[in-house]
Amino acid sequence: MGSILNNIIPVLIVAIVVMVIARSRRAPLWAEAYRRLGRNPLALLALAVILLYGAVAFLDSIGWQNSRASARSTIIDRIFERPPERTYSVPMATMTTGEPTPHKLIGWHLLGTDGVGDDVLYRTLKGCRTAFIIGGFTSLLVVPIALFFGLVAGYFGKWVDDGVQYTYTTLGSIPDILLIIALVLVLGKGLVNLCIALGITSWIGLCRLIRGETLKHRDREYVRAARALGAGSGRILLRHILPNLIPVVIITTTLGFSGLVLSEAILSYLGIGVPPDMGSWGNMIDAARLELARDPIIWWNLVSASGALFVLVLAFNLLGDALRDAIDPRLRSS
Amino acid sequence: MLWYIVRRLLYAVPILVGVSLLTFLIFYIAVSPQQLARRNLSAKNPTPQQIHEWLAEHGYDRPMPVQFAHHLEELFLLRFGKSDTQGAEPIWESIRQRWKPSFMLTSMIFVAELITAICFALVVAYFRGTYVDYWGTLLCVLLMSIVYMVYIIAGQYLFGKILKYFPLAGWGRGLEAWKFVLLPMLVGVIVSLGSSVRLYRTFMLDEINQDYVRTARAKGVSERAILFVHVLKNAAIPILTTSVQLIPALFLGNLLLEQFFDIPGLGNFLVDAIESQDFAVVRAMVFLGTLVTIVGYILTDISYALVDPRVRLE
Amino acid sequence: MNRRPLSFRMTLLLLAVLLAAGTFALPGCSDNPYPPGESAGNVLYTSLLDDPKTLDPTIAYSAEDDVVICLLYSSYFHYNFLKRDPFVLEPDLGATMPRQETTFYAVQEKGRSVRKPGEKWIFSINHGLHFQNDPCFPGGKGREVTAADFLFAFRRMADPTAGFPLLDSVEDKILGMQEYVDYCAQRHKQRLGMDYDKPIAGLQLDPKDPYTFSIVLQKPYPQLRYIMAMHFTAPQAREAVLRYGSDLARHPVGCGPFQLSEYHHKQSLVLTASPYRPPLTYPTEGMPGDAAAGLLQDAGKPVPLVNKIVFTVIREPVTAWNLFLQGYLDAAAVSQTNYQQVMSHPGELSPEMKRKGIKLYRSVAADLFYFFFNMEDPTFGGYTPQKRKLRQAISLAVDSQAYIDLLYLGLGKQAQFAIPPSIFGYDPTYRNPYRQYNVARARQLLAEAGYPGGIDPKTGNRLTLYFDNYFTTANFRQIFGLFKKQMDAIGVRVVSRTYRYNVYQDKINNGEIQFSYYGWSCDYPDPENFLFLLYGPNKGPGPNYARYANPEYDRLFVQVRSMEDTPARAALIRRMRAIVQEDCPWICEQHSQVYAITHAWLFNIKSHPIALDTAIYRRVDGPQRARLQAAWNRPNYAPAVGLALFLIVGSLPALSVIHHRRNRRVRRKEEVAG
Repeated sequence: MGSILNNIIPVLIVAIVVMVIARSRRAPLWAEAYRRLGRNPLALLALAVILLYGAVAFLDSIGWQNSRASARSTIIDRIFERPPERTYSVPMATMTTGEPTPHKLIGWHLLGTDGVGDDVLYRTLKGCRTAFIIGGFTSLLVVPIALFFGLVAGYFGKWVDDGVQYTYTTLGSIPDILLIIALVLVLGKGLVNLCIALGITSWIGLCRLIRGETLKHRDREYVRAARALGAGSGRILLRHILPNLIPVVIITTTLGFSGLVLSEAILSYLGIGVPPDMGSWGNMIDAARLELARDPIIWWNLVSASGALFVLVLAFNLLGDALRDAIDPRLRSS
Repeated sequence: MLWYIVRRLLYAVPILVGVSLLTFLIFYIAVSPQQLARRNLSAKNPTPQQIHEWLAEHGYDRPMPVQFAHHLEELFLLRFGKSDTQGAEPIWESIRQRWKPSFMLTSMIFVAELITAICFALVVAYFRGTYVDYWGTLLCVLLMSIVYMVYIIAGQYLFGKILKYFPLAGWGRGLEAWKFVLLPMLVGVIVSLGSSVRLYRTFMLDEINQDYVRTARAKGVSERAILFVHVLKNAAIPILTTSVQLIPALFLGNLLLEQFFDIPGLGNFLVDAIESQDFAVVRAMVFLGTLVTIVGYILTDISYALVDPRVRLE
Repeated sequence: MNRRPLSFRMTLLLLAVLLAAGTFALPGCSDNPYPPGESAGNVLYTSLLDDPKTLDPTIAYSAEDDVVICLLYSSYFHYNFLKRDPFVLEPDLGATMPRQETTFYAVQEKGRSVRKPGEKWIFSINHGLHFQNDPCFPGGKGREVTAADFLFAFRRMADPTAGFPLLDSVEDKILGMQEYVDYCAQRHKQRLGMDYDKPIAGLQLDPKDPYTFSIVLQKPYPQLRYIMAMHFTAPQAREAVLRYGSDLARHPVGCGPFQLSEYHHKQSLVLTASPYRPPLTYPTEGMPGDAAAGLLQDAGKPVPLVNKIVFTVIREPVTAWNLFLQGYLDAAAVSQTNYQQVMSHPGELSPEMKRKGIKLYRSVAADLFYFFFNMEDPTFGGYTPQKRKLRQAISLAVDSQAYIDLLYLGLGKQAQFAIPPSIFGYDPTYRNPYRQYNVARARQLLAEAGYPGGIDPKTGNRLTLYFDNYFTTANFRQIFGLFKKQMDAIGVRVVSRTYRYNVYQDKINNGEIQFSYYGWSCDYPDPENFLFLLYGPNKGPGPNYARYANPEYDRLFVQVRSMEDTPARAALIRRMRAIVQEDCPWICEQHSQVYAITHAWLFNIKSHPIALDTAIYRRVDGPQRARLQAAWNRPNYAPAVGLALFLIVGSLPALSVIHHRRNRRVRRKEEVAG
């Protein structure tokens, strides 16, 4: 039962994402943005990279058990998991390295194997899902909260604004890393808790931005007109102001996504990231730190993990920039 | 103006109260005082009575609001008391011993980073639209996409181990410290260079597209003069604002640097405290960190108000 | 020509200054972490993983702290630096070996006074020993050490605020100690300080001779002689304790060979030879082979041979290794991460290391690494034949050699039982039948235990073993990875539960774990120090993490603990071994051995599994070190120059842009003029 649910959730998420994109193409503003995006080869490349990573993360979320007693294994497990070797081996090598007497390898490993003999390519691919969950789930937490408080504070002003500002100023004056560490200690280690902690620290920036934008829009003519026509506050906020803020939200979220993925790696290094048996680039980098002092140097772990991380973060950064250029009319000129 | 400053300072008080309330709650839930007591009463079997005594000794037995009021008072008067770990010295003493390396590193990174980033941003802005701009901006995005640890690992490996310019790690006795600060400083600067240069470049381009620049250009002022006189002066305000706001992040970015380079500063102090769940130390450090942040914000606001008279009217 | 704006000129100036500073600073750059010239001196450079938690000899109980404390505080005994099998205790501050005689003491039993026999140990110390100079003494000059200072150290053990770690084993042995401990606890409750003047029947001073004291034991306690070699019993100055209180942790006042002269927190400790060090000399005879190994070149010379020791706090083992390679640390351990660089094949240094003059040593520890079950766990604990078979099956599936090969470079000895080689009671011929790696037999026993193929027939689910740990380092993760693989082979699923260290400790103390891994390194060379890890009453917060309780074992332990090393004692230990073998609360993994390497300039290296003061015997050739350090650490400036060239070449097109723009401007001006 749980196994089925585990498969339905990722399918649903992908379906929703596809649907939203398909629908948005019909809106004129967005159609124009897509057209501009389509003309930017770098952005298309970035998009392709993200889709590729996303596909790996998706395939790593779909899985089933072979028998009741066996563990659930995902499609990625089934394709890429290799029987474990004894210990390290150089990419594409035939013998192990890092033990007094080298042994023959059972299989062939494109990116070599790590200290416990696991295939590095497989471990790197396992990091995709974690990265997407960290980025996606946290954004999912952050966006509604930031939107709600930002809109309300900007639109209603007065004590509402004071209250929201007080909350985020207070939270914001505690240095981020410290707050995250404290929260992870409270909630306990784990992927979901990490997302919550990251969410609590990262909604502030977006909220501040949305509040500012809402302030700007509040006194624009179109809002005043709507008000004069008798529209209620809720309607004005949702129907009139919110659509104008979507570009800001999308750009910020895209750029924030890369920040979150990077944070995961840093937090895992500090020992408060995801559990050690979960695939994570941060954990891999943390482990690889000790391997650099070896001679012959064990570089493939560090390079694979940080390379995978680098490409994904870069893709999100480039896409974010391209989106900004494509969507935000004010920046088009420069 | 004075009234503005006073108002700004008063505004910080409720925030400080809020922060201490928040941290108090967080750390009260994270680890119960009973747990703390059991851990600190040596490794042997403590009786309930011993635990009770320990709680009384450290003031954990009073009602929560009273405890909170007490902690608040302690923090506001910067009386941090003793650490919860047995045999440790007073927190203030540890902070006094350890603030110097952190301050030295942080301030040097801050200044060096500001200067370097402005220089690069000026160059990129001057050559806007050319290959320098294109590749420079792309390089910035590349630099932004690399995780902090990779910089540190690579920096230590390259400059310390291979090229042998700097000591690998550690901190000097007395004046010898300058040798040790250079490598972490270099790494710290490079880490944030990408995002800073890109940000400052947009600030400068924003100014270049302003009408006054067009006017100046029409009057025949040289491109160099426009950039260095008009644009730099006007872009200085957002640059300073963002960089001051980054101080707390910088301070905690040093957490990693201090760990990798074995620097005996506050960042390491904090990591130790978190590992041993030293409630008193973490609380004190959060409060100090927040204090630094808030002071930074106030200074920015005041300098802003000095430059821009409109701000005071709000 | 345009007038150049001020800020532009300032920027140019700044860049020029930076460039000049860079050019001049670069040749001055050096990776030497020590003050110039210091390396040539008679200094020993070593590293610590962290600041010592405390330097108070009554409290400290971790290897990191002890390494420093044993140099600052000397005790009555020390271990002979060179002698092994058995380890030899020699008087350090003591003048002679203690005399033992039988004595009688009176106790109140059922309202009547009863005379009971006890053991009296009489110790006499050297004359003319001094504490180091310290402001706590009148005039700041260290006063002479007397027998009272030794007994004062015993009194401090009862201080409830100190938390003396071995109190349980000492308090019921020394006559009157229990009462004194209770008395001190009582006073502490009333918020009164320590009373150091209350007489204790078992701690006696000689009224005529200030250099003699005696200890009366109400139970035989042969381990007392080893305790007298530990820093807990080092003489302490009452003046210092009264003056510094809990600050003693950072303010040592001892009479050892060294004194603490600089303490930079989390950074470094500098120890310098004390002018009042006890008059010790380098041993004149050793084991066969020691002379050939050059270990007797300094025979008879006064120790310490170095006059300064610098401990640098380095948390990352990788950093320590790199500093060693650069010559800035005198010795290093060979670990999994560096052995390929160090050795060409097992036991043989690589040509690169040989070229550097590096020397290789093998050091044997007196320790035990073991997996343990929680014997109170409903699934894996218990003493029924089925549960025993379950544990035996898992034990059979653990291949110790795999851990040793993979994690410990093939060094280390597969453990069959608790007691390591070099300790009395170790039996080299003994083979534990459940420690012989045999997957087929393991599967069979697993089936007999009710889990055929690792599956619980009642539920159809796989048997799951929770491996509780605080593993955060890569090395520990490898242990888990390997164990998981070995359990997969018999169909048992292993799940890791990682906690923070202190939570893990709490869980162990409360018996809330299922299975874990631990190491024990002995305090003194007596089998009791290993056997007590399974003594029933030691469970809970005690060191019996497996919570093993077997009445027969406990009865034998009580006997063995107070015996001298006789064949009878060995026979009893064999009986205990047989019990543990069948109950299988542990999976004994290995007794560790490590390779250590030192640079050419360091002499007199012989590892001692127990003694911690071996640094006093080290000799250093400072000038040679300074020479080699300079030769190995010439900065390489070529890449810096290359980068500069690249930037210059790369900016050439930019210059053409400037040129182009200027021309355009000039043209435009001409157009306007025209």
